[in-house]
Amino acid sequence: MSSINIAGLNKRYGQTHVLKGLDLSIKNGEFISFLGPSGCGKSTLLFCIAGLEEISDGSIRFDGREISDLGPRERNIALVFQDYALYPHMTVRDNIAFPLRQQKIDAATIAKQVAWAADVLGIQALLDRLPAALSGGQRQRVAVGRAIVRNPSVLLMDEPLSNLDASLRVHMRTEIRRLQKELGITVIFVTHDQEEAMVLSDRIAVMNNGVLQQFAAPMDVYSRPANRFVAGFIGSPQMNFLPGDLCGGAADHVVGVRPHDLKPGNGIANPFTLSGELVLVEPAGPFQFLDIAIGGHIVRATCTDIAGLSPGETITVGASPEALRYFNADTGARVSHSR
Amino acid sequence: MTLTADAPKIDIVAPRRRRVGTAPAFAYLTVAPVLVLMVLIVGIPLLYSLYLSFNSTNPITKKWIFVGFANYSRVFQNADFWAALGRTAYFSVLAVVGTTVLGIIFALVLNQRFFGRGLLRSVVLIPWAMAPVSIGVLWSFIYAGNFGLLNGLLHDLGLGSLATAWFGDGFRALNLVAITQIWNQAPLTALMMLSALQSMPGNLHRAAILDGAGPVRRFFSITLPWLKSSLLFSTIVSTINALMTFDIIWIMTRGGPGAATTTLSWLGYVQSFQFLRFGEGAATLYLLTMLSLALAVLYFFVLSPKKPKPASEIPGKPVATIPRVRPAMVVIPPWNMRPLIHPTTQRNLTRVFFGIGVLAIFVWSFLPVAILIMISLSPPTDLIRTPPSVFPSSLTLENYRMVLMAEGTTSVQAQRVPVALFNSFVIGAIVSLINVALGTFAGYGFARYANRRFFAVSLWALLLTRMVPALTLVLPFFILFRSMGLIDTYLGVIIAYSTILMPLAAWMMKASFENLPASLERAAQIDGCSRWTMFIKVLVPIVRPGIIAAVIFCFLVSWNEFLFAMILTTTMKTQTIPVIIAGFLNQARFYEYGPMFAASVLAILPPIAIAFFFQRYLVQGALSGAVKG
Repeated sequence: MSSINIAGLNKRYGQTHVLKGLDLSIKNGEFISFLGPSGCGKSTLLFCIAGLEEISDGSIRFDGREISDLGPRERNIALVFQDYALYPHMTVRDNIAFPLRQQKIDAATIAKQVAWAADVLGIQALLDRLPAALSGGQRQRVAVGRAIVRNPSVLLMDEPLSNLDASLRVHMRTEIRRLQKELGITVIFVTHDQEEAMVLSDRIAVMNNGVLQQFAAPMDVYSRPANRFVAGFIGSPQMNFLPGDLCGGAADHVVGVRPHDLKPGNGIANPFTLSGELVLVEPAGPFQFLDIAIGGHIVRATCTDIAGLSPGETITVGASPEALRYFNADTGARVSHSR
Repeated sequence: MTLTADAPKIDIVAPRRRRVGTAPAFAYLTVAPVLVLMVLIVGIPLLYSLYLSFNSTNPITKKWIFVGFANYSRVFQNADFWAALGRTAYFSVLAVVGTTVLGIIFALVLNQRFFGRGLLRSVVLIPWAMAPVSIGVLWSFIYAGNFGLLNGLLHDLGLGSLATAWFGDGFRALNLVAITQIWNQAPLTALMMLSALQSMPGNLHRAAILDGAGPVRRFFSITLPWLKSSLLFSTIVSTINALMTFDIIWIMTRGGPGAATTTLSWLGYVQSFQFLRFGEGAATLYLLTMLSLALAVLYFFVLSPKKPKPASEIPGKPVATIPRVRPAMVVIPPWNMRPLIHPTTQRNLTRVFFGIGVLAIFVWSFLPVAILIMISLSPPTDLIRTPPSVFPSSLTLENYRMVLMAEGTTSVQAQRVPVALFNSFVIGAIVSLINVALGTFAGYGFARYANRRFFAVSLWALLLTRMVPALTLVLPFFILFRSMGLIDTYLGVIIAYSTILMPLAAWMMKASFENLPASLERAAQIDGCSRWTMFIKVLVPIVRPGIIAAVIFCFLVSWNEFLFAMILTTTMKTQTIPVIIAGFLNQARFYEYGPMFAASVLAILPPIAIAFFFQRYLVQGALSGAVKG
């Protein structure tokens, strides 16, 4: 269990600048997600922390100790891979014991520790199987078992849930969170799924194009996005962005409002209203999404009751002023409201 | 029901027999030509030679007497047989171990990323793509007694006292032939290993690095187990190839000195074609066939991986029904592994060793070929200098002029070279086109209906023909062709080559069709294609790269073939280039060595060109057609 300090980290492949001057400070025992679209450099950053990739410059410290010169073997970290990377010719037991055997730990301790890991993950019945005889979720557990068995100072996870089906993914993410709480271990979790990051993390590091966009607690990232990219990436369905002048604001602003904050009616409390043609109604269970054409833009709103609404009609939707976010049209940075 | 030609087609709902579980007639039609022809050109000759092995023949009176197992018992009582068996075993073990170890090392190096990797991959293939006859010629001259290149090099280095007749010592000669075999065969193993390495998930090694395993440990714990099933096939292939080594023995030592390099295949050849004891020869060759089959089966059981049971079959134990003591976490002491060498130093050292490895592989694969080219450009008198030297006194195209334009030479053999090149080319083209055409059809049937018993069994039968030494077939061919007047005709050679190429082409095309999604066929049929139009209009254009690969590969095998051509041709009308090169050695006139080397270089040009320009196709051929099981 360690704290991690990353300062001025750069990573280049030849001419390509993959990670651009990252600074991150992770506390002991935190659950951190690296979130971003594919190709944003989040996996590269993870591999840099693991030591599988060399960094071009900058520093990485575990508990204040510089480790960027060390090989991956000396960093005492563990990594759960996206494809799990279980050794196909070894039984589950041997897979989990493998890192301990490399440390020349005595057989009795290994047996104890494997039993502990198997118990924590509920895979005692699988210990003598080969990976090929396991389902996706079971493989996932074994991979986690192999990672936690030697008490790593940091547990790294590279999109570990992306190969599972939807319901199992939800189940496993709860398990991972439980396990992290139980072990009190520092976890870095790479994902491109904003929901996963929101649910799991103590803090989320949102990345784009090798640049850290925002590093904050999930609800901070959701309600106070640092810029337009973060606002658009977090939350589903995506936040609506409208030119400022369309909503009676400054022309150099972009106004963002989440679909969940935009509802039909121009109620008393909603001085901010928009009117347009209702194009499409998408039922999504507890509520419906409304696609509304406003000034050449499609704006998405929600409602709980669609009685009396049909496509082709003109509809007015509104939001409270607190729900509005303003961004600089050029830089994308969030700005305070100004008229 | 009758339909006139111009009547509109009416759908008549006739009670049709259900065809559940049977393959459509079209599938049988696709494999029929190959199977029928294989029975005719492989099955019948094999039975014939089996029958032959139970007979005593007299070549002069042409009388056959049925003797039962007398030939076999004579073979077993013959001390020469046991000696040859021992030599074959020694030679094969040496060749297989050498081929496998070297092949794995090649593959490990070629799997890394470095500057010039593509070039090195092509260069590594050359020794394997070359005709064994050219290889024999090259290495015999390297080891030759008085004027050989190795002795020349020793003289140049001032170590003339170490020069010796390398083939003079019997045991050394056997080892040198084995090394030549390794030189020839290692690239094939390397290819198979390389393709297995490339299919290995990269994260496996990353995971092992993080788990603290060093490079050596990772090789033995991760890489080697991953290669296991590929090793099974490469070992079977290299064992069969070692057991049947013939061409390079014919060129290099002819079983000598004494009987020091007389292996089983050479013994069978000598008995059949020099002593004309067909019955005994056939018996020896049948025993060799049995040996290679037995070894293949043995390997299969020893090395084949156990199949894990599918996940669903194992019921999970009910968990947490019984109250139990929860195991406690052990706190592993912090691991303070201090590397012996600083990481940067270690990285630099690795880089240096790797560079040396790359260079060594390049030299090993390319230097002998470069030497062959250099000798062919030297004046013939250089080859018999005293003291010998590796440096040519001058460079000349004289040798090429002799073989290509028949100028300034009295050598009959040199004048035959252009015709032989033409023969090789024509035979290669015809035989590849015929076999790939038939193989394309058969490959489709075998790929799509592999789970039907008929197709599975006939596929295995095709694979088994690869374990029959060509020597076992050449004897019945020789006897049958003689009575049918097919000796020294293109047709005879083409039939003989088809015994090798037809299964090869079918295997390669099967692998190509296996990569096509079945939905493609369904789509074509729904779009209104008959099976035939679907095959010709949709499938064949898609597998065209596979067809090209098969043609190139078959052409190469045909171009390099020596044994059939030597036995089944007698005049320059049909003789191919390997036969002509071997013929130079029979003439044993020193000044003809120049033209011989020029002819050898001409013979390896197509293989080298293929290795460089069609490397992809060559690799595909090696991996799918020749090997996959």
